[in-house]
Order: sequence, then C-alpha cells, then structure tokens
Amino acid sequence: MMDERNTEGVEEAPLNLGGALGAFEPGAPLIDGGDVDLAVTSGWRLAIRSFAENKLALVGLGILVFFILFCYVGPHVYYSNQLSGNVLNSDLPPGPGHPLGTDNNGYDELGRLMVGGQAALEIGFFAALIATVIGSLYGAISGLVGGILDGVMMRVVDVILSIPYLLIVLIVATRYSGTVLSLSLILGLFAWLVPARLIRGEVLSLRVRDFVSAAKVMGSGRSRLIFRHLLPNALSVVIVNITFQVADAIIAIALLGFLGFGLQYPHVDWGDMLSTANTALGNGYWWLVYPVGISLILVVMACNFIGNALRDSVDVRLRRR
Amino acid sequence: MAGYLFRRFVTSLIVIVGISMVAFAMLHLISSSPGRAVLGLHASPKAVAAFNKANGYDDPIVIQYWHYLLQLLQGNLGYSYKLNQPVTSVLGENVLRSLYLSGVSLVLAILIAIPLGIYQAVKRNRLGDYIVTSGAFTLYSMPSFFLGLLLIQSFALSLKIFPPEASQSVSVIGVIEDPRAMFLPILNLVAIQVAGYSQYMRSSALDGLGQDYIRLARAKGLSQRAVLTGHLLRNSILPMITLIGLSVPALLAGNLLIETLFNYPGLGLMFYNALQNEDYPILLSYTLIAGVLTVAGNFIADVAITIADPRVRLS
Amino acid sequence: MTRVLEIENLSTHIQLSRSVVQAVGNVSLYIEAGETLGLVGESGCGKSITGLSIMNLLPPGGKVVGGSIRLEGKELVNLADAEMRKIRGNDIAMIFQDSSSSLNPTKTIGDQVAEPTLLHRGGSKREAVDRAIEVLDLVGVPRAKERLADYPHQLSGGLRQRVMIAIALTCDPKVLIADEPTTALDVTIQAQILKLLDDLKERFGMSILLITHDMGVVAGRADRVNVMYAGRMVEATGTKEIFSHMRHPYTQALLASIPRMDQDNTKTLFSIPGIPPDLTNPPEGCRFAPRCAYTQPDCQKSEPSLRGDDRHVAACFHPVEDGPLKPEMMVTVSHGQVERKDGKNEPPLLEVVDLVKTFPVTSGAILRRKVGKVHAVSGVSLTIRKGEIFGLVGESGCGKSTLGRVIVGLERPDSGKILLNGEDIFAYKGRTLAKKRRDLQMMFQDPYGSLDPRMRVAAILREPLSIQGVESSKEQEARSIELMREVGLPSRALERFPHEFSGGQRQRIGLARALTLNPKLIVADEPVSALDVSIRSQVLNLMKRLQVSHEMAYLVISHDLAVVKYLADRIGVMYLGKLVELAPGDEIYSRPVHPYTQGLINTIPLPDPEIEKDKKREVISGELPSPISPPSGCRFRTRCPRAQEICAQQEPQLRAFGASHMAACHFPLVEPLESATTASGHSQI
Repeated sequence: MMDERNTEGVEEAPLNLGGALGAFEPGAPLIDGGDVDLAVTSGWRLAIRSFAENKLALVGLGILVFFILFCYVGPHVYYSNQLSGNVLNSDLPPGPGHPLGTDNNGYDELGRLMVGGQAALEIGFFAALIATVIGSLYGAISGLVGGILDGVMMRVVDVILSIPYLLIVLIVATRYSGTVLSLSLILGLFAWLVPARLIRGEVLSLRVRDFVSAAKVMGSGRSRLIFRHLLPNALSVVIVNITFQVADAIIAIALLGFLGFGLQYPHVDWGDMLSTANTALGNGYWWLVYPVGISLILVVMACNFIGNALRDSVDVRLRRR
Repeated sequence: MAGYLFRRFVTSLIVIVGISMVAFAMLHLISSSPGRAVLGLHASPKAVAAFNKANGYDDPIVIQYWHYLLQLLQGNLGYSYKLNQPVTSVLGENVLRSLYLSGVSLVLAILIAIPLGIYQAVKRNRLGDYIVTSGAFTLYSMPSFFLGLLLIQSFALSLKIFPPEASQSVSVIGVIEDPRAMFLPILNLVAIQVAGYSQYMRSSALDGLGQDYIRLARAKGLSQRAVLTGHLLRNSILPMITLIGLSVPALLAGNLLIETLFNYPGLGLMFYNALQNEDYPILLSYTLIAGVLTVAGNFIADVAITIADPRVRLS
Repeated sequence: MTRVLEIENLSTHIQLSRSVVQAVGNVSLYIEAGETLGLVGESGCGKSITGLSIMNLLPPGGKVVGGSIRLEGKELVNLADAEMRKIRGNDIAMIFQDSSSSLNPTKTIGDQVAEPTLLHRGGSKREAVDRAIEVLDLVGVPRAKERLADYPHQLSGGLRQRVMIAIALTCDPKVLIADEPTTALDVTIQAQILKLLDDLKERFGMSILLITHDMGVVAGRADRVNVMYAGRMVEATGTKEIFSHMRHPYTQALLASIPRMDQDNTKTLFSIPGIPPDLTNPPEGCRFAPRCAYTQPDCQKSEPSLRGDDRHVAACFHPVEDGPLKPEMMVTVSHGQVERKDGKNEPPLLEVVDLVKTFPVTSGAILRRKVGKVHAVSGVSLTIRKGEIFGLVGESGCGKSTLGRVIVGLERPDSGKILLNGEDIFAYKGRTLAKKRRDLQMMFQDPYGSLDPRMRVAAILREPLSIQGVESSKEQEARSIELMREVGLPSRALERFPHEFSGGQRQRIGLARALTLNPKLIVADEPVSALDVSIRSQVLNLMKRLQVSHEMAYLVISHDLAVVKYLADRIGVMYLGKLVELAPGDEIYSRPVHPYTQGLINTIPLPDPEIEKDKKREVISGELPSPISPPSGCRFRTRCPRAQEICAQQEPQLRAFGASHMAACHFPLVEPLESATTASGHSQI
C-alpha cells in the first residue's frame, strides 16, 4: 500500500493543500511539506542583489571604476611628459597647460596623479593578493591539520604579529625598495597574518558544523570534506578579506612613500608624491597635496565600502530564514 | 585564575624569545657584514674581515644569536656605529617624550571613544550616528599623516593658532609645559584613534543592547541612563580592553608618522632617522622593543580582562 | 472579578529594513485578579510580541500601532516613558525564556535582585539587600545569603531561572508576564520551576500571563487559555473548554498534532499541512484558511472576527462542534508492523557492547594538561533489530547524543564495540570504514546547520551517492527526484539552496539525504525538537511512513518522552551516561521500574487538564550532577527519593523485570523477575 502511495503521480499537485479534510484520508497528497519561494534563486544572486541594494557599495564601486579608468585610460586621453621633468617649469600653480600645476621637478601634476595612481592600485592589489593567498593557505592548513602543527603554526603567527607591521616593512624596504613588484612583495609578505588567523577561525568553526558531520557519516574522505565543504564555505570570508587588504595596502604604500621608501625616482606612487607635502604646504603649493591626498582617500574609502557591503551580503546569503 | 595568568605569562615569554629570533635573523640577513657598513665602501676586504672577526660577526649564526641574547639579558641592545654610541643611550629621553605623546593621546582617545560609541549605538541609524560614522570612516580611510597635513594647513598655516612643529624641548618637563606646541600632534593621534575605537565601541554596545539582560534591566523599570551606565557600560567595555591591548603596533606606527611630520624628537623620529642612515642596530633594537611592548600590551589586557570579567576571574 | 489587565484591539508592527511584519493584529485579551491566563501559539504567532507590547519593551523597529492596553484602567499605550518605568518591574514584572543570557554576567546576584527594590521602593541599600535575601529564599534558592555575592555563571540553569523569578517578585507585581519561562530547561527542572510558579501564585494571588508554545504547560495551571495564530487571536475560553470543546479548527488541529503519551502509535498523527503565512504580507481572509481542513469559499474572502459569548469566543465562520478530533479519523499506517526478518541465528542489526566514551577536560594554553574527563557514556549496551525503532530518552547531558555520534562513527569510543550485522565497525579504518558506514546514516537536530549552505539540494542529495561511488549521474538524478517525492517536496525544489526552505522542509531534506544510500539504520538526533508543533507532526508522520516503506530501523534520540513514545517500539532511558531502564514503549509508560523513569513520566506536562490537575506534584528534586565526577554507585542516587546507603556503594546492574524489560535499580518500583536477577548486559536484551 505504501508503495502505491509513493508512486502516485502527485508531483504536480498544487501545494499547501489541506482543504476538505484531506489530511485525514488515505491517499492524501504526499507533497505536504509546503512550497518553496520561487522568487529567489541562487545564493550568489541573492548576495549580488543585496550588494546592489547597498548604495554605498555602488558609490564605492563607481569611485573605484572611475579611478581605474582615470589612471589607465587617462594617460591616453590626457598626454603629459612623465619621462623627464623640466626644472624650469617647477612648482607652477594650476593654469593653462597644467590643470593641476607642476611639481618641484617640473612634472605635470595631473599626469603624475594618473601614473602614481597606477602604481598605488597595482601595489595595493598585488600585496592584497599575496597576503590573502598565503594567509588563506596557511590558515586553512593550520585549521585543518590541527594538533601540534596548528599550535606551532599559530605561535609563529603570534610572534610575527607582535612585531609592528609598519616598522618591519620599513626596515626591509630600506634594502629592497624601488619597484612595484618588490613593494608588493614586501607589503604582502608581512600582511598575511591577519587573514591566516581569520581563515583558521572560519575553518575551525565550519569543522564542527552539522553539515560536515553529515558528510563524514556518508563516508566522505578528507579531501572531499576540505574541497567540497570547508573551503567553499570559507571562500566568502577570503573574498571579503581581499577588499579590506587592498585598502590597507594602499594606505601602507602611502605611508612608505611619505617616509621616502616608495618607488625609485622617477617612478612614482601617490605616497611618494606626498613625501614633500609638508614643505609644499609651507610654501603654499597646495596643488601638490590635496588632489593626490583626496584621490588616495577616495580609493581607500571605496575599497572599504565595497568590503563592508560584501561582508553584509555574504551574511545575507547565509542568513537563516 | 592565577594559574591562567601564569600560563599566559609563560606564553608571552616564549613569544618574546621568538621575536628576538626574528629580529636577530633580520639583522643578520640585512646587514650580515657590519664591517662593510662601518668602514665604508673603500675599506679593504681584509680590514672588513678583521673588523667582523674582532666583533664576533664571523661566528656561526647560532653562536652570534646566543651572544646577542646574553647581551639583551644584560640590557645591552647593541651599538650604533653610525652614531657611535650604545643604542640604549640613543633611546635616552626619547622614550619619555614618546611615552608622553602616546600616553596622553591614548587616554584622551579612550575617554572620548567610549561615550561616543555608546551614543552612536543608542542613536543607531539616526542622524547623529550617521555623522559620527561618516567622520570615523573618512578618518579610517586616510593615512594618518594626511590628517596632520590638514591640521597644519588650517590651524598652523592659515589660522596661525598653533605652531606647525611640535615642542623641541629636550626635557619632558619642557614638553609638558608647552601644550600649545603639542596640541596638533596630540589632536592628530587622538582623532585617528577615536575613529577606530568609537566604531568598535559602537558595535560592542550595539551587541550589548541586543542582549537579554538589557531587556530584563528595562523590564525592572530602570531608566535609559541607568540601563546604560549600570548594565551596558561594563559589559561592552570588556571587548574594548582586548582591542586596546592589541593596539600597541598601531600606536607605534602613529607615533612614527606624527613625530616625523611634526618633527618631534621621540622614538618615532629616532626610528625615521635611523631608517635614513640605515642604522640597523637601532632599527632592530627598536623593533624588538616594539615587539615586547606589543606582547606586554596583550598580556596587560588579559590581566585587565581577568580582573574586570567575573566569568574569567572566577572560573 | 476585576480585570487587572485589559488589552483591546492591539496591533503591533515591526519595521524591518525592507518590509513591515504585522506581528500582532487586533488582539484583545484580559486577565482577572489572581488568575493565570495561558497565551499559546506557535513561534511567530505574535504571543511574545503581545507580552513585550504590554511592557513597551519591543525590539528595535517594533511599535504599537493601534489599540489599548489598560492596567487597572490606566492606559499604557503611549504612556510617557517616566510613567511607564514606574510600572515596569513594579506593577507588571516579566520573566524571560533564557536565564543564562537574561542575567547581567558582570553584576552579582545580590545587586541584580536588590535593584528593583531600590528603584521602586526607595530605602537603603541594606533594606534592599534584606528584601533580596527574602525573595531568593521565597523562590527556593538555597542559602540565599551566601548567593548574594555570586555571579550568574556560578549558578546552574535552574537556579538562574529562580533568580530571575525572584527579581520579578521583589516589588509584589500585580501582573507577572512569564514568556516561555521553562522552554530552555530540562523537563525535571521545568517541573520544579512550574511548581514554583504555581506555589507563588497561590501565596500571593498575583495574575500571571503565561506565554508558551506548550499546551501541556497551560493545561495544568491556566484558568483560561487564549490561542494565537499568525498575529491574530483565534480562540479564547476556559482551560477545560479549550481542550474538550474547542471551536476553532486551528485549536483542534494543534491539539491533535501533539503526540501524547497514550497515543496509538500505529496511527498517523494529525498534521496541519503547509506552513504559517508570511506576516509581512498576510493573506486576505482567515489566516488559517489555507491550512484548514474545514475551509469554505467564504473563508478566503473576508476575515472572521471573534464571536461567541463572554465565556467562549472563536474567530471562525465554520467552528468545529464536536470537540477534539477522534483518533478513529486518523489513518492507520501499520506502523511498527515491519516484519522482523532476523531469524534466531542471525545477529541483530546493531549491537552496542559496553560502550564507554569520555572527553578530556583540558586546561593550559600551550601544554594542554588533562585535568579530568567528562564521562559522557559509561558502559552502555543495547541492541537494535532490523526494522525496529529504538528510542533513547534522557535530559541534556545524559550522553544520548554522544552515544548516537559514536554509533554513526563521528566519535571513536574509548572502549566497547559497535557491531553492525555482527561486524565490529571500528575494526575498520579509512575507506573500508566509510563503505561500512553506508548502512548507518544520521539525521540532525538543527535544520539550519545540517545542510551545506553553498550546495543546491540536488547536490546535497547526490553527494552520498558520489561518495560511495554508486550510480551514474543520470541514475543519481532519478534517485534525487524520487527522494524529494518521498519526503513530500516538489522536485523543482532540487535547484534551490537550503536557505530558501523553512525549518520543517530542511528537516525533510535532511531525512532525504539520510535515505539516499538506503541505510539499514538512521540515527535521528532530536529530529523534531527545533520544529513547531504543527510542523513536528508532519515530520514525525513522514519518518514513520518512510520507516515502513524502507523497512529500516531508527535510533531516535530525544529529550521528549512523548515524541519517543510515539515513534519507538522500544525505549531506553539514559541518566548521566548510564542506561537505567529499557523496555517496550507501552510498558515503560504503564509500568516504569526505575524511579528516574517514573519521575520523567510524571514531570512531562500533558495537554490534558484533567490529568494535569490530578497529577501528584512529585517532581525530581535537585539538578544533574557534573559528568566530570559522577556520583558513586547509582548515579541517580543524589536525586532519588528511594535512595539508601547501598546506592552510594554499589552500582546497580541491569535486571530483568519482564520479557524485554530491564532496569538498573537497587530499589525498583516493581519486583524483578527472580530468574533473571543475574542477567548480564547485552545477551539478554
């Protein structure tokens, strides 16, 4: 009798029935679990929707896109000589031919802003990528293996994390500064500790979740647990982390540049452009300080906006109903 | 409880030993042949080798580390060949001057951030909260020196209320007696720290406000003020203690930038000058000290939490 | 009688970021002096929001948008905050569900209990502290004076709940609002707290608004009962009438959905199909109509208002006339009629032999020293036959869940064996163990945590097949469609993610996943305790139906004896890591042998006012001892009314009290079978 009931063609029956004493009678519709909402689909789509509804996130995205276009497409539209300076034209205030004036080496400041922005964005992105990749792998291994290895790995993190980031980065930068690549490496190689801790914590909390137990009960092997369940679920944390790391790295490169350990002259990033800011202000050369400073703040803010919105939308995706 | 703190103390010591290893390893990697740096590029290789041998720089690295550690334990942080004096004497009064700048700004920042964060949590998503959050967000997205530039521009150069440079007095007393010169650097550090702490306090207080015991306190008939001071405050400050304990690196970074910007002769400026001179003994001694301070900050925060939170104290 | 509190047409809305939840709409109720009013309904029906509206303690976004709340004629809606504060904690006091989070962790018990006195009565600190000691004594906190300096975390859950009641009592309130006061507690502690509330009401004659989802809790103590559904009051009358002559189909259905101790478990439970409406967008017409068995076309068109006389009102166009649903109307599904295929020589499906599992308690940051161990399971033996449903009951911390996790291989035992079809599964490792495990699957308690949030349902259902390397992807697809049908979900839901389902639907998916590999045994750990009553009966029915059609066995683990009784053929009772009694379900209910079993049965509040009123209020005293250092001898002796010296010295062994009835007690309630007094463990069970 059960078999008959099970195979009845009830799949297309309307849901949420229950009228006409239906539940009392044999042969009642079997799809009694209620319907599911058809409006929402994938988790990612829900996340994107929530992201798109966040106005600050869209503003942030807009700012970021603008600066990427400004820095990379800008030089093709607005041509200025960034290969050699002209000392005769140094420290000109904004005016015809130089919308943002010139710096103390006679470079056009607007063009400089574009080129410097390229370096800042690239270093920020690469450093964040390096830090996140190393940190995620390190944290994931530590959390997954556990035991003594985990203890040792985390003590190493404790030690390095106890050495102030800026100090150690500056010391290394005295020797190896100069290029986009070396700066990205220096910044990234000392910034992976926080993501490492974050991912480890996430993996540890995921490990004891019921769905992981469920997979174990099914007989799932270690690699499947890691690659099908733990890592995909930790991925959102990694993605959110990248955006904050970009913001941090751009600030860090600005600090390095300000203290004189940025790119090798005549290459330039936004931080380098601010290294003489104090003198420039004293001389009243405001155009050498504010445009670059404001650009820097806007880009960092944009990254933070996007990071916050991503974090919120990931929460939405995983939220309980 | 005592057992817990003792174990925390031992872990801290282990981490400090680890830091000394890292600091030493970096010193060794970056300037493995101090002879070359001291005697200059034109010195003969022979002379360099002789210098290194005389000072023990050609010993195996483990031996060198052992000597370094022994020296450290005796309070000897090394010798700056660039300045031709022991590192400890270079530190000198810089320590006190930096302590004054950082200490005053940290205390002020905490005193402002805690009530501000609670205010924001209570006025959540209303105008006041939005204004403070936006301000904090802007400051947070700004390199700390840039705020300093704005302050110098407006208060020193345009309005001429405060000098653009911090106090140059050699004695700490002299610095304390010149609050006008110290106003801008302290304001700068306070603003930046408040931006971080107040947002953390806001979320901690928001978390607290959602707790059941706050609802029960209201159900007793307590006024908003009594709920906030009597029930919310202590509980939501607890996570702040940990945060403040963790903020030593940020404090030192702030010091470095602000002292450099305002030309204030403290540890930060000393570090900056050592960077310019590539004076590695000073750089690494300072890094080591910074590491120890960071560990100490964490440890003190743990002790403070243990005292402040009965759940930890009585378990 | 005077009406102390009167609510008329109360509407409360909660503003969310994108929508407005119409949590309470047009609700009216009253409480007379010295009366207990039970306000019942399932989660989300608005009962708690009603309580919070009275206190004006609504969550952020919550606002009373209409109606009136009067305390002895004084209007509370829109009362100035300063005035309202004089009422809170003074005239109206409230206790909440979770005492572990409702007491301030950084303030002493003394300070927290003294606070309302200082606030409302003035006087010195000294007087307030004296009053605190007095009320703590009153609520049965032993050595109250010594407790004043304690912090909440130093007290047990039961004591914390007493402290919260003490806080509510300090100012002799006219009305006490108790919002699910015992839901977070174990049954034995729940019984103690309910008894305390009853005593206090008798002594002080205050009015109590008892908000609960548990019909059993109201049956024993409420004078009148109001039933809420989807933000509406649907029925209000005396307690006796609501259970015997209810008029609203929802009340009738709700009561019929609750498994009872004397339930005929060969029949299905009544279940209400579907799920409650979304209150951000409630349907027109009667809100229960889409799930109602008696619905008529007019129910969808307009909404019925409360009708009836002073003593009994119901909001229904077609009220039920003939009282509770008759059991005859339920479908017989030949539950428990699975043919036992195991012959005499065949080993039982699962045999647990003298299983021991402890967890180390460590301390230390770097060098983890073992400072003790939690004795989770201490030498449990049992067998489960093919096609049998075995129920395991006990309070939290008794080791039942650990036992379940060991059986499915999530934990390794310290000693003892698990034999599946006679084979020791822990003799295998890695791949082989994984293969062996396919006959043992698990269903989890938390419907939110047990499904991978990043996988579509299709992938969730296919995973077990892929892991075990069976069937092509086409066959996997066919299998998952079949499974969805079996658990009563539309197959188009396969493309959805877990977060798009309700709790009950997720439990169905969890069951489908467990079924995928056609296991011989499913361990179901609290399968329905996270679900509301009406959804719970759906899942229970489904579990029974699938057990029959798949000829499999269940090990059902639950704290709820009624649930276990309904599902299981045989029941094992656990206490602090030990199996204390083992018997067929009917027998354990009609002829309990172990004092703990009897205590458990007595403490469960039944949805029947007649039984509840007559029930001797014998509650199991005390609280569960620490499993780190369990009592010597019989572990129950510290709470046992029959305990004597020997109980502390000698551990009682399982003895036979019937054909398949075993219990471990020195002073059983029933005389043991003499021949079997020396029966040892598993061979007899």
